[in-house]
Amino acid sequence: MDLLKTLTIAASGLRAQAGRMRIISENIANADSTPQNPGADPYRRKIPTFRSELDRSLDTQLVELGKVQTDGSSFRMKYEPGHPAADSNGNVKYPNVNPLIEMTDMRDAQRSYEANINVISATRRMLQRTIDILKA
Amino acid sequence: MAFADIPILSMLRTRLDWSQARQRVLAENVANSDTPRFRAHDLAPLKFDDSPLAASGGVTPVSLSRTDSGHIEGVGLSQSPFKNANTRTFDVRPTGNAVNLEEEMMKVAANQMDFQTATALYTRSLNLIKTALGKR
Repeated sequence: MDLLKTLTIAASGLRAQAGRMRIISENIANADSTPQNPGADPYRRKIPTFRSELDRSLDTQLVELGKVQTDGSSFRMKYEPGHPAADSNGNVKYPNVNPLIEMTDMRDAQRSYEANINVISATRRMLQRTIDILKA
Repeated sequence: MAFADIPILSMLRTRLDWSQARQRVLAENVANSDTPRFRAHDLAPLKFDDSPLAASGGVTPVSLSRTDSGHIEGVGLSQSPFKNANTRTFDVRPTGNAVNLEEEMMKVAANQMDFQTATALYTRSLNLIKTALGKR
């Protein structure tokens, strides 16, 4: 039945957006994860990717969280001579996480999540209407 | 006489089928609202004014015929009898994604209203038959 497939599709959207939220929260939580010693690299920002996948048993385009990529941009440098990870000039590498970008991404994920929830509730109401025919 | 032979009922059933198929397409659009290079789809509006359709009250599906029992049935071709229509896109994001969430939400709401109208009419038609039977 098509309406039940619709629910599965919307649920796949929910799952993908929830996975994206998880990665965003990893980034925010690790925004200040500096390395332990001078040579090492700090936390590198992760980027979620989406891909649409054909589910053959349902014959529908579901959405899935693809491979998690890493952001290749350069790290922030801070002058902190007393820090255990400071190099010979007293600079410490900080993660390339920009909280502003993460917050914007989070809002976007939230909006998409709500859109999928809306589809689910609309579909549920349609199913309920179909069942109501029986009661007439 | 079977219920399927009554034109109004079979037309309404076609309408309900169409709404279900459309809800599925809209759910795919919403779920893939962040997938790169994904374009939104929609179904062509349902029309009953073509004479063969109006006579039978239904849409006959077009599908690939299997000429050999060893052939695997094509996926996605035999499923929906309704025509696909690509929606015009005025807003393509840098990732190549062209799903407008607001527009999709509007369509979901409109589709739900269509479905409710059809189920209400279906119930009314059943009541008419009950009245004719003298049960009310």
